[in-house]
Amino acid sequence: MERVLTDFVKTLRNVNIRVSPAETLDATEVIEKVGYDDRELLKNTLSLALSKTPSEKEKFDTCFDDFFREKLSSDETPVREVPDLPTDQTANSDLAQHLLSDSYSDIELSISKAGEEAEIREIKYFTQRAVFSRRILDIMGVGKLEEELSLLGQANKDGLPSDFEQKLRNELTHLRERVSDYVQQQFLMHGDVTGEQLREQVFKSMNMGQIDRSYLHEVHSLVRRMAKKLANMHSRRKKNFRRGKLDIRKTIQDNWVNQGILFNLRWSYKKVDRPKILVICDVSGSVGAYARFMLMFLFSLTEVVSKIRAFVFSSHLGEVTDKFKGGNLEDSIESALSKYGGGSTDYSHAFSDFVSLCIDEIDKKTTVVILGDARNNFGPEKAELLKSVYERSKQVYWLNPEGKYRWNTGDSVMNTYSAYCTKVFECGTLEQLERVISTLLKTAI
Amino acid sequence: MSKGPAKTIADITKGFAKHQYICSEQISTAVYLANELEKPILIEGPPGVGKTELANTAALYYKKALLRLQCYEGLDETKALYEWRYGKQLLYTQILKEQMQEVLEGAKGLKDSLDRLMEFEDIFFSEQFLESRPLLKSLTSSEGTVLLIDEVDKADEEFEALLLEILSEFQVSIPELGVKKAVVKPLVILTSNNSREIGDALKRRCLHLYIPFPDAKLEREIIQARVPEISKNLQIQLVDFVQGLRELDLKKLPAISETIDWAKTLILLNADELSQELAKSTLNVLLKHQQDIDVVQKEVPRLVMASDG
Repeated sequence: MERVLTDFVKTLRNVNIRVSPAETLDATEVIEKVGYDDRELLKNTLSLALSKTPSEKEKFDTCFDDFFREKLSSDETPVREVPDLPTDQTANSDLAQHLLSDSYSDIELSISKAGEEAEIREIKYFTQRAVFSRRILDIMGVGKLEEELSLLGQANKDGLPSDFEQKLRNELTHLRERVSDYVQQQFLMHGDVTGEQLREQVFKSMNMGQIDRSYLHEVHSLVRRMAKKLANMHSRRKKNFRRGKLDIRKTIQDNWVNQGILFNLRWSYKKVDRPKILVICDVSGSVGAYARFMLMFLFSLTEVVSKIRAFVFSSHLGEVTDKFKGGNLEDSIESALSKYGGGSTDYSHAFSDFVSLCIDEIDKKTTVVILGDARNNFGPEKAELLKSVYERSKQVYWLNPEGKYRWNTGDSVMNTYSAYCTKVFECGTLEQLERVISTLLKTAI
Repeated sequence: MSKGPAKTIADITKGFAKHQYICSEQISTAVYLANELEKPILIEGPPGVGKTELANTAALYYKKALLRLQCYEGLDETKALYEWRYGKQLLYTQILKEQMQEVLEGAKGLKDSLDRLMEFEDIFFSEQFLESRPLLKSLTSSEGTVLLIDEVDKADEEFEALLLEILSEFQVSIPELGVKKAVVKPLVILTSNNSREIGDALKRRCLHLYIPFPDAKLEREIIQARVPEISKNLQIQLVDFVQGLRELDLKKLPAISETIDWAKTLILLNADELSQELAKSTLNVLLKHQQDIDVVQKEVPRLVMASDG
């Protein structure tokens, strides 16, 4: 029975419920207590041991029902009625006999046996379904049945199939349907999300400009998870400790030298609060394809990091923090794009807007992040504005969505600006973006 | 002798009902497993569905003492685990100084004095000066306890790390004294309102129970158990009304505790059935935000009608 449990755990992992080996052990222990007899009890107990958030519980319930319906169905489905056949005709091939005489559940059983033989567990992709269906049918001996059918067909003189042949054909069609259902079910169990993981992998390493807009939603959930993971990883630093609290233990320890007289007081230390982050995002035509994803990441970051201010610009610059906070993704992105986007880039203008808007807020704890391609349409560079920001802030990061080899070509003035950046990153894929933001959160103290 | 699990679980359900706690099968299964496998339960769910009450009832049911640790931001080991009695320790050093004369009497030279000092039994860090806090108390108790760690999500993440050793090994390490193991393993219940995500490490060590809002049937049973003097008619109306409320888009949905309060209020007002006026005038018992009350005011006629049907 352990095989059943590990299979089930595999199924759970496929629908993105994370089950650690230790939890699997817990589950075995749990099953030892309650056994497999009582379905409802089994469901309750496994749910306690394996699924650990409300959303996981929901997924767990459907998964459990799917998985154990399939496993238990053999003793639940009623026996199929086998109609009497004209006695003068008997089927020759094994499969035909099987189909005509055995019960529904027996056939189901032989389908899953054939499935095991065909290693259906290994199914990974959507496109493999037909291959597996065919393989299972072959193992079940559909070839012979087809031969028999064609013989029967030839035997008919009037061109009309006999009742017997018709019946056999019906059974075959029916079998095909059932096998394809079975494969579909197995695919959902073993393959589906591996596909999803693959897709995520692809999204992550694909150039952001080339991801089609119709995938926006899938990518958003990915981006959001990334943002959340990052924020979680670094949120420890966020804690704002109460100050002015006496640390008695340390005080006493430090005062032994004074014969126990509390002379030097020691205070609970105060942790530094999370720094301010200002993000400026270029949404002009030249980075149009990236802008959407940059904004998405920006949006996700404002969702998970509290002290962040977001600005967008193409020629003039405006703040979108308030719009992002509490809004929904699509509206926020669209409104930001329609209000500020699409125009031609003017960094000098944008920087002067930025400086006049919030230079006073920038101090030695502030990190400024600029997302843009540094293509200035041959306009004035006004690097001194960036310099003033750089000098006041803790650090300035520039994330350029273009590949390094394209920097400083044409109207790109990356070199001029990079003099006033703490660091410049190439950041064309989500993976790179993730890495960059991680460094950023780590060092932005 | 061991009864079948299904039987024991039914017993738990019944036993809890005696203490006016009506629980679903999931809840009693969780309690059963926690007791059998000696694993902590982490309970999540919206506020007011009886998470804390479950611990209280479990303590009553197993006839064990309940130790409660309320978590809050800034909670640290000195409040949760143990603390040294600094005052006593200071006095002890004073006494020690006076006694020193005797100990060192007749010692020749610095080395000899030092040797004697080393031989001298030091109780500065010993259990005599140890002040147990709930977590340590629950481990050292010889009768076994129910340990309730309430709203663990309110504590800092660092505190979770502190819990890990206790929850999986039922022991704590005190640097000055060494490892202290549990005498009798306590039944541990943690609750969380999900104000932040609990770490995976902690979740992994617990059975995870999610208590949602109850369905109408269960809620009726709960009202019956908690407010037995309510009339059948009113009870049904009331539960239907609240169930209807939970489908609205409100800032804070009324939980079971609010339903119970409301039932008590209506009893106090001698109501036999729910009228629109009555519902409107007592809404503030159910809803805790003025915005929510405003929203619901308009819906009252519909909800009352629905609960009549």
